[in-house]
Amino acid sequence: MSIIEVKDLEKVYKTSDKESGIIGYVKHLFHPKYKEFKAVKKVNFNIEEGELVGYIGENGAGKSTTIKILTGLLTPTSGKVIVNGKVPYENRIENNKQIGAVFGQKTQLWWDLPVIESFRLIKKMYKIPENEYRKNLKKFSNLLELDELLNKPVKNLSLGQKMRCEIAATFLHNPKIVYLDEPTIGLDVLVKERIRKFIKDINKEKNTTVILTTHDLKDIEEVCDRIILIDKGSIIYDGEKQAFKDTYGKQVLAQIRIKNKNTLITNETIEDEFEVIEETEDFLKIKFNHDKTTIMNVVNRISNFCEILDMHVQEQGLEEILKEIYRGEVVC
Amino acid sequence: MLGTLLKIGKMGIKEYLQYKSVLFLFTLNRIVEVVVYIFVWYAIYNQTGQIEGFAISEIATYYILVVTLVPMSLWGINEDIAYSIRKGYISRELLNPISYFTYYFGKNLGEMGFGLLTAICTFIVCNIFWTVLMPVNIWAFIGFICILLLNIPISYFLQMIVGTCGFYTNATWGMQILRKSIISIFSGLIAPLTMFPLTFQKIANILPFKEFFYTPINIYLGKIQGVEILLIIVKQLIWVLIMYVLAKVFFNKAVKKITINGG
Ligand SMILES: Nc1ncnc2c1ncn2[C@@H]1O[C@H](COP(=O)(O)OP(=O)(O)OP(=O)(O)O)[C@@H](O)[C@H]1O
Ligand SMILES: [Mg+2]
Repeated sequence: MSIIEVKDLEKVYKTSDKESGIIGYVKHLFHPKYKEFKAVKKVNFNIEEGELVGYIGENGAGKSTTIKILTGLLTPTSGKVIVNGKVPYENRIENNKQIGAVFGQKTQLWWDLPVIESFRLIKKMYKIPENEYRKNLKKFSNLLELDELLNKPVKNLSLGQKMRCEIAATFLHNPKIVYLDEPTIGLDVLVKERIRKFIKDINKEKNTTVILTTHDLKDIEEVCDRIILIDKGSIIYDGEKQAFKDTYGKQVLAQIRIKNKNTLITNETIEDEFEVIEETEDFLKIKFNHDKTTIMNVVNRISNFCEILDMHVQEQGLEEILKEIYRGEVVC
Repeated sequence: MLGTLLKIGKMGIKEYLQYKSVLFLFTLNRIVEVVVYIFVWYAIYNQTGQIEGFAISEIATYYILVVTLVPMSLWGINEDIAYSIRKGYISRELLNPISYFTYYFGKNLGEMGFGLLTAICTFIVCNIFWTVLMPVNIWAFIGFICILLLNIPISYFLQMIVGTCGFYTNATWGMQILRKSIISIFSGLIAPLTMFPLTFQKIANILPFKEFFYTPINIYLGKIQGVEILLIIVKQLIWVLIMYVLAKVFFNKAVKKITINGG
């Protein structure tokens, strides 16, 4: 049995379509009008214990909505979710005991008090045994460098410091499942690195299942094994990260330094399997599909028109692939 | 559970005490209020000669106790609930392993705890400047404490009702004023209830607010005694139950609204 099962999940938001002003208000009282918006459409997936899943998609695709349903904060319009044997929105508090969650910048730490106070409260609320709490606190302090921060009031911490504490707070009770909704937003590269490493370490040690949404695809590259891609409420890809790159990332970008050009290469190669994106006297940038041609072919062809000095070939990363998918240039 | 509640309460008190001067300022503020009340009532005495059921020495004690009790009877976590709803922190707090309802009861205990600190300071300082009567006997004091303890859940549930109104209207501020006004009038804060018309007193007898000020102070002064105290405790227990049910209904409806429409 999978630790998370999502079946035919749908969420329709109803917003009242109120006209402005008092007249609109009164009208609404008698003839309430609602606008409906389907944020999540027939979503299906299963997640196994210990998986590191990247849940990605454009702004407004429905990621946070899905996460909120998984945590029990939202009730789905139809469909079913089972998390470790429990239905989260019917049994929220029971479900809360086995999960951890970070929602962007909404902190669970007490603003005016030193961080450690919030940690102690978490220990009480989740009934974490003393030795387990000590062990985790020590380990997390090391991994996230919290030693200097624990006795400072939360309000005096920087964004990155706060997020490190927040992440530690979320894992303190050894949750089976952790949902991270944009945990790296606004953080510098080093803090991001540290948080990614932390998530991987804990996953390895405790087999914690992690679902991560982010717009920084390096998070996904470094942390996740599996990608679920959602677009306008529907899942358009679900599978291994590497398979995703292999399937959709066939475009190769090459930057070539050249010399002694004898013609306008763009015109000469219109019929060819590669496309010239940029051409100057001593520089050429081209794009081609791995399925249709090879680097050798391309090099041979271009050397007809000039001398090749240097060449830099770049496989498409997640970011470029997603850009093309979002733009509709590639269809999943 | 009790451990968690007390921990939350303690954190609430610590939050106040972060600012060193806060206890001093709050107490000073109380003392000023006492001064104003006492001057007003001395003036009334001088004009009319007497007040229904209260000697002049008693009226000073009455108002010192009123002002002392305000932090525990009127303050609370209304603002915090409204804030948590407005800023969306509620969606984070709903993910705690204890219910939001319990969590905020803990926070309210914190407010009460700090209120008690302020009350004790106020009472001590008042003893320096005025002759404050002591409870007539140990039983009066015990009765006084019992009534105050039972006020805590009643007051909390009422705040939860008012607070969750934040889901339906943006006018939580107006609701706060309404709550404070109703309590002020029916509790004997503005004036001892014996001074109001009979019909008014009958309404006040049914509502639970009288127990916020008028009843405990009269028990303290020995004007309410014996079986009557027990009856009042029974009345309060009934109100605890009523308010609990109402608060739960309001709260569950509010949570339902969030889980259907999103925070
Ligand atoms: N409470 C709500 N009421 C009405 N519509 C909502 C509500 N919450 C979200 N939506 C809409 O549902 C859609 C999905 O929103 P959601 O927050 O799930 O997107 P997201 O994938 O998390 O986007 P982002 O990357 O910007 O965080 C959006 O179009 C949004 O406007
Ligand atoms: Mg989102």
